[in-house]
Amino acid sequence: MAHYLVFLEPRNGLVAGVSADVWHRVQEQLSSGDRITGFVAGAISPGALDVLQGSGTVYHALSGSPAVSPGTVLCRMLSEFVRKEGCTAVVMAATTAGKMLAPALAAALPASLLAGCTSGSLPEKVCRRYIHSGSVLAAYRPEAAIRIFLQGREHRSSPFRSMERPRYVVFQESLGPLQDAEPLIRTISASGSPEDISEAGIIVAGGRGMGDASRFSMLEELANLLGACVGASRSAVDEGWRPHSEQIGQTGKSVAPELYIACGISGAVQHLAGLASARTIVAINSDPYAPVFDVADYGIVGDVREVLPRLTDAIRDVLRKK
Amino acid sequence: MNIAVCICQVPDSASAVAVIDGALDMTRVTWVMNPYDEFALEEALLLRKQFPGSTVSALAASPESGKDLLQKALAMGADRAFEVRSSPLQDPFQTAWVLAEAVRNLYGKALPDLVLCGRESLDYQNASVPAMLAVMLDLAFIGPVSALGADGERLELERETEGGTELLVARPPLVISAEKGLNTPRKTGIRQVMEARKKPLEILQASEPPPPLVCLEGVEPVSKKRRCRYAATPEELAAMLDSDGHIRQISGEG
Ligand SMILES: Cc1cc2nc3c(=O)[nH]c(=O)nc-3n(C[C@H](O)[C@H](O)[C@H](O)COP(=O)(O)OP(=O)(O)OC[C@H]3O[C@@H](n4cnc5c(N)ncnc54)[C@H](O)[C@@H]3O)c2cc1C
Repeated sequence: MAHYLVFLEPRNGLVAGVSADVWHRVQEQLSSGDRITGFVAGAISPGALDVLQGSGTVYHALSGSPAVSPGTVLCRMLSEFVRKEGCTAVVMAATTAGKMLAPALAAALPASLLAGCTSGSLPEKVCRRYIHSGSVLAAYRPEAAIRIFLQGREHRSSPFRSMERPRYVVFQESLGPLQDAEPLIRTISASGSPEDISEAGIIVAGGRGMGDASRFSMLEELANLLGACVGASRSAVDEGWRPHSEQIGQTGKSVAPELYIACGISGAVQHLAGLASARTIVAINSDPYAPVFDVADYGIVGDVREVLPRLTDAIRDVLRKK
Repeated sequence: MNIAVCICQVPDSASAVAVIDGALDMTRVTWVMNPYDEFALEEALLLRKQFPGSTVSALAASPESGKDLLQKALAMGADRAFEVRSSPLQDPFQTAWVLAEAVRNLYGKALPDLVLCGRESLDYQNASVPAMLAVMLDLAFIGPVSALGADGERLELERETEGGTELLVARPPLVISAEKGLNTPRKTGIRQVMEARKKPLEILQASEPPPPLVCLEGVEPVSKKRRCRYAATPEELAAMLDSDGHIRQISGEG
């Protein structure tokens, strides 16, 4: 019988959407006898946990994050909790904080860290994930009794619904005074875009073929229409047209949108490395031999300056008729 | 400041990696220093310049790491370069374990002021070693860091998160992982490479690490090829996307 601990990350006083998704995915996969427990640390608004449906208990540690670097205090708090409660698995979203916390926790417990598994189901014996820029699919077998799952965005067909609500408990344990050496987060300046591309359902991305920074306004217009995020190739980032936070690929972010529209992007292997989990790919490129067409589901050979405004208009028409 | 930098090698292009009979075949691969480790090493060299008397030691624990990697580190300017010699390492936990042991053997109880690593290695992209190393050395960990400033006592570091840019303040000792954009790694010329060849490559023998926490069970090649349906006009493309259900109203969605 499994006991899942879901790490819920606070964001702007709420539970991060990706963490709530993870919580509900675990709820869906519970077999009889399985248990689920949530853990949230730091300041959250009253009612922030109301988004969580299903069974189990959510512990709230009032001190700690986000003022403290998650690798340290939080890792200690969680590893003690996992041992005391006898959790068999820890599940968290693959956010910046999650990606730092998960390996630290794996070393502290120790536990088998399974990150970026292509199959979402938790109790499986192996974790399949892409390695070597997505050119190889590897199967990993966990060896430790406790597993840690770091989960990326997943395609969901229907949301989890339950009449049940988890029990709320204030986590009383004190970890003692912070050490002097503890790194402190001093400020957080809000990011420009409200949504992170690694969590986006639709992405409109531009590459060197966009020609210059100002033309990305065409992508922003299309993105607004579709409720999408704007992404970029490394060339576009290196040119200074877009921030690094929007870079997709091996040295940028891995994304998992339902729809990915690549505009003026050649389709280099390092770019495609970030697209392994994209469901549908559309390519707009003036070169009919651009490699991006080999990995695309839909393509149009043409100049982005001509195609994009017309495509945006046509999609606007389609939406108007709905 | 004593700075240890952990480096490894990765294939310069994933297209040379093949799968033969269910196993990885690396015979066609040319190896380069992991690009994120170049950021880490460059940052160490910049700190040494800012704080004269500092030393920078590069440690390589990946089994493939040959002389080239260590010589590259010396050519970039590392004071010393160590091969951490061990039995083949099977997962990030074992890698972090032998590195932690090597750091302890090299620096003793004092530990280095900073241990710098790359954000992740580009081959397996686990991004686990830096955080694991920090736990094993009982040090705080901050990463992936895209800006770093030091005044001799404290460090100011920046990292990008989903919520925005975080500015962190920390005191050494510390483990830091380097993100792209932290600096521009220096290029090494023939002269530096020739000089590096004269410097000794040192060996640190690792003890037998504990068993791995995850094991690679099998590999299969991936074909990303899809069948592309071409549209003649943007209007046709919009119609195709619509009829396949890819265009939806955004209102009403979460
Ligand atoms: C270690 C390493 C890591 C890397 N990591 C990444 C990464 O994370 N992400 C990434 O993206 N890249 C990465 N790269 C770089 C990658 O190899 C490519 O150089 C890069 O992806 C190319 O970007 P691009 O497609 O925008 O530009 P290009 O390759 O220059 O392609 C531009 C495309 O635009 C088309 N085009 C030009 N004009 C027009 C027009 N008017 N209308 C329509 N189409 C037009 C061209 O036909 C061409 O196909 C990495 C490389 C290395 C070595």
